[in-house]
Amino acid sequence: MSVIDGPGAVAESLAGGGTPHGIGSSLPSADAPAKTQGTYPYAADLWAEGLLWAAVLRSPYPHARIVRIDTAEAAAMPGVRAVVTHEDVPGDAMHGRRVADRPVFAKDMVRHHGEPIAAVAADHPDTARLAAAAILVEYEVLEPVTDPEKAFAAEPLHPDGNLIRHIPLRFGDPDAVGEVIVEGLYRVGRQDPAPIGAEAGLAVPRPDGGVELYVASTDPHADRDIAAACFGLEADHVKVVVTGVPGALGDREDSGIQLPLGLLALRTGCPVKFVATREESFLGHAHRHPTLLRYRHHADAEGRLVKVEAQILLDAGAYADASSDALAAAVAFAAGPYVVPHVFVEGWAVRTNNPPSGHVRGEGALQVCTAYEGQMDKLAAKLGLEPAEIRMRNVLATGDLLPTGQTVTCPAPVGELLKAVRDADLPPLPDGDDESQWLLPGGTSGAGEPGAVRRGVGYALGMVHVLGAEGTDEVSTATVRVHDGRATVICAAVETGQGFTTLARQIVQEVLGVEDVRVLPSDTDQPPAGPAARGRHTWVSGGAVERAAKMVRTQLLQPLAAKFGMSVELLTIADGKITSYDGVLSTTVAETLDGKELWATAQCRPHPTDRLDDTGQGDAFVGLTFCAIRAVVDVDIELGAVRVVELAVAQDVGRVLNPRQLAARIEAGVTQGVGLALMEDLRAPRGVVKRPSLTGYALPTALDAPDVRIVKLVEERDVVAPFGAKAVSAVPVVTAPAAVASAVRAATGRPVSRLPIRPQAAIVKPQT
Amino acid sequence: MSTYAQQTAENVTLPTSLDEAVAALAAMPSAVPVAGGTDLMVSVNAGLLRPAALVGLGRIAEIRGWQYADGAALLGAGLTHARMGRPDFAALIPALAAAARSAGPPQIRNAGTLGGNIVSAAPTGDALPVLAALEASVILAGPEADREIPVSHLLTGMDPLRPGELLAFVRIPLLHAPQTFLKATGRTGPGRAVASVALVVDPARRQVRCAVGAVAQVPLRPLEAEQWVAGLIDWDGERTLAPEACTAFGEYVAAACIPDQPGVELPPAAVQLRRTVAALSRRALGRALA
Ligand SMILES: Cc1cc2nc3c(=O)[nH]c(=O)nc-3n(C[C@H](O)[C@H](O)[C@H](O)COP(=O)(O)OP(=O)(O)OC[C@H]3O[C@@H](n4cnc5c(N)ncnc54)[C@H](O)[C@@H]3O)c2cc1C
Repeated sequence: MSVIDGPGAVAESLAGGGTPHGIGSSLPSADAPAKTQGTYPYAADLWAEGLLWAAVLRSPYPHARIVRIDTAEAAAMPGVRAVVTHEDVPGDAMHGRRVADRPVFAKDMVRHHGEPIAAVAADHPDTARLAAAAILVEYEVLEPVTDPEKAFAAEPLHPDGNLIRHIPLRFGDPDAVGEVIVEGLYRVGRQDPAPIGAEAGLAVPRPDGGVELYVASTDPHADRDIAAACFGLEADHVKVVVTGVPGALGDREDSGIQLPLGLLALRTGCPVKFVATREESFLGHAHRHPTLLRYRHHADAEGRLVKVEAQILLDAGAYADASSDALAAAVAFAAGPYVVPHVFVEGWAVRTNNPPSGHVRGEGALQVCTAYEGQMDKLAAKLGLEPAEIRMRNVLATGDLLPTGQTVTCPAPVGELLKAVRDADLPPLPDGDDESQWLLPGGTSGAGEPGAVRRGVGYALGMVHVLGAEGTDEVSTATVRVHDGRATVICAAVETGQGFTTLARQIVQEVLGVEDVRVLPSDTDQPPAGPAARGRHTWVSGGAVERAAKMVRTQLLQPLAAKFGMSVELLTIADGKITSYDGVLSTTVAETLDGKELWATAQCRPHPTDRLDDTGQGDAFVGLTFCAIRAVVDVDIELGAVRVVELAVAQDVGRVLNPRQLAARIEAGVTQGVGLALMEDLRAPRGVVKRPSLTGYALPTALDAPDVRIVKLVEERDVVAPFGAKAVSAVPVVTAPAAVASAVRAATGRPVSRLPIRPQAAIVKPQT
Repeated sequence: MSTYAQQTAENVTLPTSLDEAVAALAAMPSAVPVAGGTDLMVSVNAGLLRPAALVGLGRIAEIRGWQYADGAALLGAGLTHARMGRPDFAALIPALAAAARSAGPPQIRNAGTLGGNIVSAAPTGDALPVLAALEASVILAGPEADREIPVSHLLTGMDPLRPGELLAFVRIPLLHAPQTFLKATGRTGPGRAVASVALVVDPARRQVRCAVGAVAQVPLRPLEAEQWVAGLIDWDGERTLAPEACTAFGEYVAAACIPDQPGVELPPAAVQLRRTVAALSRRALGRALA
């Protein structure tokens, strides 16, 4: 449940009466009825006449040499129509979102548990699975490298070597020292995105020799380009059609499914469908980077930061994927939203035989937040300051420098955010007389005992960048069409549940005054819009929609304005009516259109950024966003069970575009953060994934999700962003785990340096 | 050639009495009984099990309720967790009601049954430590005469279910004294037990019986700790215990269930488990004898 209170909050648009529309309203999602009624089409629901079913054979070993693959027996099984291996990839054998270092099918090496080796198409899913299991693979099992610290000296796991990226950041004077020094070692586990719907897809061959992939892609053009290159086809012979997306927390799709699917469709000439099991989903897709962080903070006697030294080691798994981006964020934000005159960071992303890591919301920024906030708590304890106070003495503001040498030009109301959460009322203690009303840590199963419960309050400040960093060409294109008093938006930006289509409708309503706005589904016949990640679509795709809508507006109003001898700016459109400033002119949009259609297409491309140089310096980010969270937890100090009672959130949002959607994004984000803080860790001892199921991998349930109280949304416009709005989804994920850890520290007095927090780390006075 | 048809053929029988169900199983020895399906269908969906035929037990009214028999309750194997969690049942066998309330999310409790929980015999089966502490017995219906065996014999595999046999009833002595079930899980929401403790006071036999779930393949009974604590209780008087005694009991139970390995240090996970069992046992005893 979320509560929005405090000044500048957002309820008025709900009270305004009439159907909500336009920017600032809580326009509901157009998909909501279909989703709640179960008729929204996800990839797993698709069907085509005469389809075949695919199954993928995956490596049971994290590291092995492939001596021999024999598919004869599988291919001869009744019902089997095709078996494909690395020998059957007509185009590029290697691919990758950033670096082409990952084979479509493992050829002579497998580098992680679950790596695809072959795929089968058959007339029944069970036949396909049985046939995949009947493929004979002779392995020479090798010792896996699973400790990232050992990856430096280990034999190369890949022709590209084990070091994916190293960033040494140097900012200020290395010899500076503070009066107080604290050190810490922090670990963050492997969070799985665990989307509600596992990966699925349908590939349909085309008569012209091409293929169409119906998948829940979050970056359809990039997926199409990879697929076309591997299939040896021109890009225009591969079409990616985006189906309903059942949950996405980063780069959703697993190429280990899309590519075999397309190959099998091309090979058999039949439609081929694939639905991953939950186990395959856990094995195949990218996880959050497990990270090891060593920190040393120097401060003066008043608690002002003097120097931060850090070593950050990201476990990338076997392939590079987005590790380079994650490392850049980790290094750049290593000191957090604080002013630090001297910062020295060594950051590495290394290859191991652990499950693959990649882009998961807030990557890099989250792990360092856990560490630098742990350090702030340590400094506070050492100096005898309140945890909120030491943070307040160091907050970053607009005009300050990041350790990358970039000046913060956007709003950075960090102090205001912290003040808002610090001053908010604390949730009441449960009424001691009525223990039944008290949801104790450990849950409803009755084990909790009020006498053993301690309450703790903790704080964290988080930051994350908006849009791709380090020179990524951020661009999106959108088309707006007006016809019969309605408008249609055509844009390849994928609705992942984040609310882009709702936002696009609001923008068009606002600019054109047309109520009925539809957004077409995305596919690669539309111009590229880029990935649904890092709040991009609010900015670049929202910006493109706004521009296109404004162009249509001009086309619509220009003839009228000319006729009445006034400029377009003097006309307003609202509720389908066009009026002039003086009230003389009043007509409707439909009348003015007079049966005509108006179309416009526009692009949005923010200013370019630089790659971090070899001392970690450069203007790498387009925008930044900040968040403060105060966590209140109850800990059963004998069992080590933790329940997050409340998270009070204050966030820097630029401008509230849709209040209800914004609250939902914050709730979703903090809940994911609570999951990482308390339970989510995909265990892979010696590289083998353990219990890849939703029983083995616990996620927060409704009882684990805390009350989320949005105490303040700071609406300071970011002047370079469309509508002045900032992306809102990632920064609550980044900040929440550190806030929970801080509160558990306060409740128990234990150091809490590892996430998820294990029960033994939250026990007080352990009996030995 | 298509392999589609042969794999979708499935044979489901829905008997309405125990006799019919036993007959159906006898007629189709390869058939598998299914009650709520919350364990069975998980295995089917995961492709681990492909039963040739199913005998559904959901329509057998006689095993979906309970009756009284000589100071004991005779519970139908088809009782759902949801039903056992209700107040009228909780007044009868409070610990089993508490276990049923904690056995998974509501959807699972509406379908999952006592019989399924026992036959699945998962280490984390929540009903199992309660049944062990209550020294329940199970009545098995089969092609030959029905037979009754202690639940522990079934769980340990000492006397397993024979081909064609169904679990029909569970006999539980009614003790009219405090009993508790406490379960530690990895999250606040529903989850499988990390450890659980069932504790019952039996004034007639002057016993305290305790069983620890989820730490081993079957529920463990710390018999020495039980006897020790029963000896401390003034059975004719107040029947209360000092907090120190409860703490000592917790330690005793925990050390018995997670014993020291001679010559090796307990791994951290085992130390943590032992602490959890100690806290749960102490709390369970404290609540029963407060
Ligand atoms: C999401 C989820 C959460 C869960 N959480 C818990 C939990 O917290 N605690 C817990 O204890 N369990 C939990 N379970 C497991 C399960 O719900 C219970 O074990 C339940 O009691 C099983 O009962 P059922 O009727 O569904 O059994 P079924 O699945 O129908 O049957 C299980 C097995 O028992 C056999 N069987 C069933 N009835 C009989 C009978 N009368 N005679 C002979 N054989 C029989 C079946 O052939 C099968 O082999 C969970 C399951 C799921 C899916």
